[in-house]
Amino acid sequence: MIARVRAGEAEAYAELVRAHTGIALRAAAALGAGADAEDVVQQAFVKAYCALGRFKDGAAFKPWLLSIVANETRNTVRTAARQRTLAGREAAFVEAEPLIPESTDPAVATLETERRAALLSALEKLSEEHRLVVTYRYLLEMDESETAQALGWPRGTVKSRLNRALRKLGRLLPDFEPREGGDERE
Amino acid sequence: MSEGRNAYDGEGGGGPEGAGGRRPRGRGGDRGPGPLGRARGRGHGKGASELPDELRALGRSLDPPGSGDAGGAGDSLGSETMVERVLGQILAEQVPVPVAGSRAARERLRTVRRWTRVRWRTLTAALCGLLTVLALTPPVRAEVLDWFDFGGVEVRYDPSAVPSPGATVPGCGRSLSLGQAERRSGFEPLVPDALGVPDTVAVTSEPHRRFLVSLCWREDGRTVRLDEFPAWLDVGFAKRLREPPEWLALGGQPSGDGVPDYALWFPRPHLLSFWLVDADGHRFAREERTAGPTLLWTHRAGAGEVTLRLEGVADKSRAVEIAKSLEAPSVK
Repeated sequence: MIARVRAGEAEAYAELVRAHTGIALRAAAALGAGADAEDVVQQAFVKAYCALGRFKDGAAFKPWLLSIVANETRNTVRTAARQRTLAGREAAFVEAEPLIPESTDPAVATLETERRAALLSALEKLSEEHRLVVTYRYLLEMDESETAQALGWPRGTVKSRLNRALRKLGRLLPDFEPREGGDERE
Repeated sequence: MSEGRNAYDGEGGGGPEGAGGRRPRGRGGDRGPGPLGRARGRGHGKGASELPDELRALGRSLDPPGSGDAGGAGDSLGSETMVERVLGQILAEQVPVPVAGSRAARERLRTVRRWTRVRWRTLTAALCGLLTVLALTPPVRAEVLDWFDFGGVEVRYDPSAVPSPGATVPGCGRSLSLGQAERRSGFEPLVPDALGVPDTVAVTSEPHRRFLVSLCWREDGRTVRLDEFPAWLDVGFAKRLREPPEWLALGGQPSGDGVPDYALWFPRPHLLSFWLVDADGHRFAREERTAGPTLLWTHRAGAGEVTLRLEGVADKSRAVEIAKSLEAPSVK
């Protein structure tokens, strides 16, 4: 596919964009692009196109693209000097929240929203590295090797940081009860 | 371990209204908060196995509403819009092909470079060493990207360039003789052997005492028109097209400077505009109108060079044949 794009074949890049728009938008949202997510993704696709010459043959496109999305998100957020506050970010998430299919009960919806907020706030408290690894691995549903590629870390590092991040996250979540947490330390 | 989902049920426990909301969710059955909380807290191994699911769900919940599953209509619509936005921007910003493309593309690029180098002195006056091609196909679609095959080509997105339908090749108007045309225009019109003596000959005066000679032939009720400019085709010419021209080699023998002559074939009607460079190195003459299939090429004649534009010959090979019939050195 990449080869076809490099050969100047138009439809090939259109296909790549088509196939990755969803996940790229999710990545931008997860990384804090908020309302700029679409612009960020558009920019990332254009940059990816420009940089395609440096793309390593045989590598996976998705992690590569998502690392560009991450960069672009950082730049956008920084340039606009509006690194979102936790509250703002949560608000954005809540707004963007789709219907929760199995629950029409408002109480349930509230619970979902709360749980999301709790998860997000816990994520927010993680270190940058931990947040990134959790985001790539789970929110973006990539496997370990893709995560490693996107972050440019060795696989072992991904594994260990992921473990540590999950444990921290577990501790940060509100329903964690400290008296039972004896075995939760790293 | 089979209680894996239970902890999910308990996830709201920390929220102020958690207790009330827990039951209706029904994910983990009817468990009390006590045992659940304990189960969750006890082993991080377990926590680590549920948390990922929750995080994945969180990730999916970030997808824009309506995107649904991967194949959903909303999703394909969104990505289609993204495709257009991305391709549109690539065009608008004139992003070159990411890498040297096929051999053919590189070959063309090299040809253009050599051509440019050889004519550099003139071109410096004309500023621009790049081909400027204005492309424009709303909606921006695949074939548009093929433009990038032109190494060094600037592509601009201009949705306004739509040729008027049903345009015909304009005739030449009142005829002069070839001799009169030569006297008026100051150069000797080139007449392709393949077309023979033109039915009409016209000279149009352009600004700055420059002239354009047009030769017309009637063929089966249609007009074949050959415009000649006593000037070089500026490599910085612009062509506003809905599709890319085709590069054709004209004859095998490279001319004296080692640059093989080439021609540009425009298979369909298009809005045409290009620049030419006169003997003083000034860029001039820019023209725009809808033209039929067109062959554009240059030909060395005596001291100078002439740019020719042939319209009204729908068949590519015939057009090339006509262009080649100029190769015969003597035109009189």
